[in-house]
Amino acid sequence: MITAGIDIGSLTAKCALMRDGELIAYKVIKVSPNLEETARKVFQETLKAAGIKEEEVEKIIATGYGRNKVGFADKRVTEISCHAKGALYFIPTTRTVVDIGGQDSKVIAIENGKVAEFVMNDKCAAGTGRFLEVMAAALNLKVEELGEVAEKAKRATKISSTCTVFAESEVISHLASGEKVEDIVAGIHEAIASRIAAMARRVKIEPDIVLTGGVAKNRAMKKALEKEFGMEIKTPPEPQIVGAVGAALFA
Amino acid sequence: MNVGYLCTYTPKELIDAAGFTPIRIFAGDAQISLATAHIQSYACSQARGSFERALRGELDVQAVVFTRCCDTLMRLADIWERNTEMKVYNLEFPTRVEEKSKEFYFNELKDFVKVLEEWGGEVTLESLKESFSLYYELEEKLKKLFSIKPDYDTAKKVQEMNVRDAIKLVDERLREAEGEDKKPRVLITGSVCPFVEVYKLFEDAGFALKDDICTGTRFFTFNTPPRDIGSVDEGLRFLVEKYFDKAPCPTKHFPKDDRFNYVLELAKDCDGVVFLLLKFCEPHFYDYPQLKERLEEMGKKVLLLELEFPIASYEQLRTRIEAFYEVIA
Repeated sequence: MITAGIDIGSLTAKCALMRDGELIAYKVIKVSPNLEETARKVFQETLKAAGIKEEEVEKIIATGYGRNKVGFADKRVTEISCHAKGALYFIPTTRTVVDIGGQDSKVIAIENGKVAEFVMNDKCAAGTGRFLEVMAAALNLKVEELGEVAEKAKRATKISSTCTVFAESEVISHLASGEKVEDIVAGIHEAIASRIAAMARRVKIEPDIVLTGGVAKNRAMKKALEKEFGMEIKTPPEPQIVGAVGAALFA
Repeated sequence: MNVGYLCTYTPKELIDAAGFTPIRIFAGDAQISLATAHIQSYACSQARGSFERALRGELDVQAVVFTRCCDTLMRLADIWERNTEMKVYNLEFPTRVEEKSKEFYFNELKDFVKVLEEWGGEVTLESLKESFSLYYELEEKLKKLFSIKPDYDTAKKVQEMNVRDAIKLVDERLREAEGEDKKPRVLITGSVCPFVEVYKLFEDAGFALKDDICTGTRFFTFNTPPRDIGSVDEGLRFLVEKYFDKAPCPTKHFPKDDRFNYVLELAKDCDGVVFLLLKFCEPHFYDYPQLKERLEEMGKKVLLLELEFPIASYEQLRTRIEAFYEVIA
């Protein structure tokens, strides 16, 4: 049986095609304001990549904040359940999922292969991918470069503000006082890690911890989180499509 | 004259018996702006939002009774008095609800009767009897309605109208009320939530509802049926008993831990418990960690939802509620 999982996030849309529970193709595209159209587009592109016709897909499951706008889906499941299922698919020993998305972050505790508890932050940009984007812009760097720059740092400049807007002014004042860019970038990663850890402590954190979402591609972020949790963190090969894979498995 | 109140410990019967209409004050839909000139932003949005409506002239009330509950509402009383034309009265409900404080509260009620008289009302034995029986009728009918299916729209409306009209409304709803098929049941516990859309999110997700909310069942859950009274004083003694034995709230202290026992009992036949807490609501948040632990010991799944009025994004709440449903179902 071929199933599709479509994850409409705040910044990117992902689609995963699975045949009998095995991943066969996936795509990640940017989200446009028309969510239904975005869903169609990512679905069609993934079909094309897999060389599969739409009729061959038996079930389509939508997830992500745009899940209710995917009219052609057979079922809708929240990103909480899908991230847990997707993380278990890639790393069966997963007990805690830390997902850092474009505009929200969440921590999910898994017991006996099921979601036991979860916390979400979606009210504030602190501890999300958006925080990194704002800081990258303030430092005139690309967001993809941040991880690399941070790894050059000898020390991490302390960023005390939790609020993204205040942290941005703090970064600018550090620049003005002559702090090295790489040290500031390292400090930014520590600030996010500490914010995520503060949220995560509201649920029971057990190893293995799996980091998902676009931010998981950033190695410095993974390191900062490992330091904060005092544990090794695993990342799936394609951290961005974990939700979509989980959705496809809910068919 | 309409007399506003915020706390469910307010003896509405006395206000009604004096010839006034008690009207519950809720926060509104508008962004809080005027009130910020008078109240700090770390006071809850129920306090700020209610006062906002007063300053915007949205409230048709000429007096407000503040019944002692949380510190924020008590201090709001002073702010309200200084900044509106309304009459304001502080009713001291004892914080320790026990035998010893009954006499104190009886005297408080006597003082309150005098105040109502100063405001131009008159409490007689007859009017008191009538109000007791009307409120009892309303409370019992709301209990019946909620036992068929909780109706938060009606619960909210009846708190903003005269008890006589409220009974008619509940009668109407009772005629139409239909029970529902078996669904996973969730207990919603917390302070106030007059935004009925929130309960709808739970229903949409597939839950059957039960609540321990100040604007829900705590408004009408009393356990003292009216009895024959021979004088106004006897009536006041009845009110002391009625309000000492109502659905308890965390702003009060009970020698036998009534509050926790009440919530744990309500949770027994529920599959999960959602704490619907208003940001900066200290009484509820101080209880949360311990209460959560006790509920988890009972094997209940627990979710914390933090609210601020007016509610900015229902979709974010929806995701959490749907995910909680997926955890339970």
